[in-house]
Amino acid sequence: MMSHEKLIDRLWLLLVALTLGGAWIGESAEPGLAVTIIIALTMAFKGRMVVDHFMELKTANRTLRNLMRGFFYVLPAVTVLTSLFGDWLARLTTL
Amino acid sequence: MLQTAVAPLPEPVAGRIPGNKGIWAGILSEMTEFALLFGVYFIARAHYPEAFREGPARLSTLAGTLNTVMMISGSYFVAKSVHAIRQNRQQVSLRWLFLVLLAASGYMVIKAIEFQWNVSHGITGGMNLFFTVYYYLTFTHIVHVGWGMMGLLWVMVRTGSGAYSPADHDGLEAFASYWHATDLAWLVIFPLLYVLH
Repeated sequence: MMSHEKLIDRLWLLLVALTLGGAWIGESAEPGLAVTIIIALTMAFKGRMVVDHFMELKTANRTLRNLMRGFFYVLPAVTVLTSLFGDWLARLTTL
Repeated sequence: MLQTAVAPLPEPVAGRIPGNKGIWAGILSEMTEFALLFGVYFIARAHYPEAFREGPARLSTLAGTLNTVMMISGSYFVAKSVHAIRQNRQQVSLRWLFLVLLAASGYMVIKAIEFQWNVSHGITGGMNLFFTVYYYLTFTHIVHVGWGMMGLLWVMVRTGSGAYSPADHDGLEAFASYWHATDLAWLVIFPLLYVLH
């Protein structure tokens, strides 16, 4: 099994690579639902890796782990939902 | 003779708390603050979809990308620093903390250049709601990085003076947890403001 130190070494490279990939998408891809989903999934994955392995919450307190992991379920989901149901959200939040 | 020995606090049933409880009160407050600001972002995006589609293209993607690399790298360096102290390697731990300081300083310099670039391209917070939200979110994040840098200097002094050991390094872990949380906030800011058109 890979040691935790080796794991975070590799994760660092992966997270930097995903960041460069994200920048490339932002610069070159045509906006659309598929791209929004890819961006949201990348956000969710990067957040989860930092929470689990850099913050070490994977093996730590359950409540803290669930709260921090929850952040990266909710925000990517709302990113996609806003793109799908923006009109509805605008109506709901009009005073 | 009075017995003054105090039994160590039992480990919480739900698992170990990295650092200490106090820092987690701060981290959860920080995450709540950013969650509220992201809520504002989504509502504003729903109301002004055009401004939010066009806004990211006017920002410097290079600055956003470089700052993401700075935040992720800082987070990684501090995790390495914690590993080093667990192996009782104070000097190695301190060297990783210097790299965190370098990444944090790099972030601040890039942000300053980015804001100057914005001004020279006529980008202000009053242009439309996208740029208002952009300045609110990025300024709030800068403030959190600023708090973190003060904490960083403190743990560097403590590490340099040999205050941490494999058995006792809660202070360093508390700082590391805060720094990771600040990285996490940026990992949402970057796609929402710079990537998602």
